[in-house]
Amino acid sequence: MMRSAILLFTAVGLFASAASAQLPGLRRYTPTDNARRPAQATPLLGIDALRADFAAQSGGTTVYFGNGSVVLAPPARTVLAAQAAWLRRHPEVIVRIEGYGDGGDTRDHALAVGARRAAETRDYLLLLGVPAAQVSVTSWGKERPGLGRAVTIIVS
Amino acid sequence: MKRILLPLLLLAGSAAAAQQPAPAAVVAVPPLTSPDSGTKGNQMLQIGWEATQLIVADLGSTAEFAPLRTTRDDYYSYPEVTAPTFSKWRSAGAKVLVTGFVQGRSDGRLTFGCYIYDVEKGRELARKGFVLTPGEWRRAAHKCSGLAYSTIVGTPGSFDSRIAYVAESGTGDARMRRVAMMDSDGNNHRYLTAGGNMALTPRLSPKGDRVSYVSFAGGKPSIRVIDVGSGQERPLITADAITFAPRYSPEGSRMLFSMMLGSNSDVYVVSADGGLPQRLTTSPGVDTDATFSPDGSKIVFESDRGGSQQLYIMNADGSGERRLSFGNGSYASPQWSPDGQWIAFAHRGPSGRRIGVMKADGTGEALLTNGPADEGPSWAPSSREVLFQRASGVGRSALYRVPLRGGEPRQVTVPQDGSDPDWSGVVE
Repeated sequence: MMRSAILLFTAVGLFASAASAQLPGLRRYTPTDNARRPAQATPLLGIDALRADFAAQSGGTTVYFGNGSVVLAPPARTVLAAQAAWLRRHPEVIVRIEGYGDGGDTRDHALAVGARRAAETRDYLLLLGVPAAQVSVTSWGKERPGLGRAVTIIVS
Repeated sequence: MKRILLPLLLLAGSAAAAQQPAPAAVVAVPPLTSPDSGTKGNQMLQIGWEATQLIVADLGSTAEFAPLRTTRDDYYSYPEVTAPTFSKWRSAGAKVLVTGFVQGRSDGRLTFGCYIYDVEKGRELARKGFVLTPGEWRRAAHKCSGLAYSTIVGTPGSFDSRIAYVAESGTGDARMRRVAMMDSDGNNHRYLTAGGNMALTPRLSPKGDRVSYVSFAGGKPSIRVIDVGSGQERPLITADAITFAPRYSPEGSRMLFSMMLGSNSDVYVVSADGGLPQRLTTSPGVDTDATFSPDGSKIVFESDRGGSQQLYIMNADGSGERRLSFGNGSYASPQWSPDGQWIAFAHRGPSGRRIGVMKADGTGEALLTNGPADEGPSWAPSSREVLFQRASGVGRSALYRVPLRGGEPRQVTVPQDGSDPDWSGVVE
């Protein structure tokens, strides 16, 4: 079951901002008090700028899968094709592909399904010419609530 | 009737879970007494009373025993330990009598004596003595409970054993998950990981001296091994791969686990000290949650090679694979009972996930719980109970135990939310 692109993008934006503060090893741009400006005027720097550009140019950072499926559907392939093009233009950027399993599944099977989804996503990006060194994969299984049956591609 | 049988298996004949449960045996446990006198005698009686309460609690926690009320005022004389007045216990309604004593030794340690009687026949069934330090009185009490249990039920009791699990606190992405370990009576609770990284599926070595678990410390899930004594930790293998679902072999020298190779999850075996893993399954798709039979000759695991998750059995070297489960829905997380008779599993069907059991030959299948979000079955050392995890609708989870012969699951008390329980064998 695929969701609309607009909904997808919104959900991803929320997730990325919530998650980025927690991910290990990430540098997060934090505006200082004396540099505070209206939100739209805040210049995005560093990793946040890259992330925003990656998401905007690719049409999203998350692709969804069917129930129990590890097969990339056409809308997912469209997003990944745009991501691959972006990654080829930014060979210095490394992305982490995080797979999610189905919430109703048992723990270890969900972990494996999340890993399979991440691997399928990685393989598709590699097929489209992204160097293997630019991507890494992991799985959250069903351990992070709210984002089942999906893969997020995070600039890291 | 709390048990729900799968319709297609009603034909399969009787499982233990489908038999009419025998009524619990009424057991009398008068206060442990002492041959010592004076101040020392009073100290021994005090320890004896603490131990008595623990024995009553141990036996009362099983489905097989119903202890009579015991109070400290029921003073029990030393000669009566070996020569009980059976008529008195008969009229009290007891079928089984447990007597015992605590005696101080000249080396400072204590001798615990424990005796099991058949009240109706007026006959001794078993006796055992344990020499332990005063600080080990809990273990002595558990060993006495274990003697009563194994004498009456015929399988080892689950009293002097350990439970490892994941202690959970906090909410959402900030939820902290730590490996915790405790005695099976809830005593001696401690945390084995600090909580900075998410921890899943702790598995105890047979001796309880090591715990392997899945850590997210390296950015991807991978198996790590904790030495319980020193608290030191190391990765199971050095490969940069997603590894998960660890399980020790019955003698503790090897470990089964799952590893991702590309988009393929297979079952591997490796020395418990690490080294080069040997691959046991090769089918595309997800093969995982492998566990040994108690004699080490067979491995049961789950695979979705046929389209849905089902249970499969193979020889310990990976040969002779065959499918074991054929019911509707999917079957996952199999675990062999310590007595070799049963395989517990998580079943996923239209009404959610439940805990079920089948005989080791795949027949006699029965569901023990009603779900809808139960998983992670782990056998009690007695092979008469299954410990599992039950999630609530709001993302919280707790540990429960359910008797093999059916009945309402009872919650296991732990300080926080609990998941992924693993029950060790009896500690020698």
